[in-house]
Amino acid sequence: MASTLRSSSFRLLASRPTSATRLLPQTRVAAFHASQRQQILPPGPQVVHGTVNDPVPVPEPNAAHGSYHWAFERIIALGMVPLCVAPFAAGTANPALDAALGATLVLHSHIGFDACVTDYFPKRQYPKLRSFMVWLLRGATVTAAVGLFSFQTNDVGITEAVKKFWKA
Amino acid sequence: MASLRQPTLRLLASSSFRRASPTIINTTRSLASIAADSPPPAKKEPLLKKFTIYRWSPDEPTKKPHMQEYTLDLNETGPMVLDALIRIKNELDPTLTFRRSCREGICGSCAMNVEGTNTLACLSRINRDASKATKIYPLPHMYIVKDLVPDLTNFYKQYKSIKPYLQTKEPPADGKEFLQSKEDRKKLDGLYECILCACCSTSCPSYWWNQEEYLGPAVLMQAYRWLADSRDQMGGQRKDALENSMSLYRCHTIMNCARTCPKGLNPGLAIAKIKKMMAFGS
Repeated sequence: MASTLRSSSFRLLASRPTSATRLLPQTRVAAFHASQRQQILPPGPQVVHGTVNDPVPVPEPNAAHGSYHWAFERIIALGMVPLCVAPFAAGTANPALDAALGATLVLHSHIGFDACVTDYFPKRQYPKLRSFMVWLLRGATVTAAVGLFSFQTNDVGITEAVKKFWKA
Repeated sequence: MASLRQPTLRLLASSSFRRASPTIINTTRSLASIAADSPPPAKKEPLLKKFTIYRWSPDEPTKKPHMQEYTLDLNETGPMVLDALIRIKNELDPTLTFRRSCREGICGSCAMNVEGTNTLACLSRINRDASKATKIYPLPHMYIVKDLVPDLTNFYKQYKSIKPYLQTKEPPADGKEFLQSKEDRKKLDGLYECILCACCSTSCPSYWWNQEEYLGPAVLMQAYRWLADSRDQMGGQRKDALENSMSLYRCHTIMNCARTCPKGLNPGLAIAKIKKMMAFGS
């Protein structure tokens, strides 16, 4: 209502050629793409499953991928805080603490990268790339775990290494 | 229109107030005579502001989306971005397309991206700095129907999937209605006010990447609204529906939702409360 009333009065005003109204109807088309055209993962066509009135399907409940996974992730993350502080508080490197820190570190980074894979390589769009990335991550995690284990057993261990690195 | 009406109303009110006391009558009369003699108030200098608006028409699907520039005199335009859009549509370009209805931030139709922030056009003021153009885009990462109109089909389908209504197993104790204590009712404050404008969901990067499977902040806040309702008896089923890696747990606490919400709600907090509920089984 307000807009129609106002606009009609303005149209009346606009019929008189004043300097302001002459400037008003300026329209100019600007280029939308300022940079080089790069098709990074172009969006697919819109797909509506079922009719527009159907709800989206609800996945099968699985706590191992849901609340248990989340709780485990938080416990690991919280557990790393004392494990990182303990060597500084104690002043010496304890091999058991070091091993615990190494294990949680590997788990923590695996869960973190796994979330990245789930976010950026959706199964519905890139099923093959997704399973490749999942196995790549598993390989990397096992390699890191084996590397840390041998570093722990044959060399000085994480805490001592950080200490040396810090002083060097 | 409302802004034009207000000063006249105020004048009327003040003159009737003054008429009550006889001593002021003379002053008002003399003021009136001065007003009649003096020339009409000088017209304000036009304050020309540019608006750069995203345009794409389904009538020409092969034509790439482009930004179109419009110039308005802010002294003749209402204070909000929606006023400017309506004026552009009325006076400059009737092909400009956008949704709007209530123009007071309660319907959620005019949700769009103004100056890089998802907001309701009717609640965001036009920046009076005329040196910079105001950029207006549709809600990001959505399929576009035309110009500033996004397709919210998936959003509404997701909302439907959380069953946004009271579900009970037994009839009410008194046979009439489900009663709720004041404390329980308080738990719904900050949740029920959501108008489903989709500003928060479309500002969430996680929703951008996985909107087919992740429900998004707006829908999850409504899921919590029904989980937190003391009268609802299907909490178990509601939680089971979220027990998977995609529906709920794609939230990485980025908190764009709380930052952008035009109604000042906090969907991020509601999602955190769902996660807590699911982890501790309460």
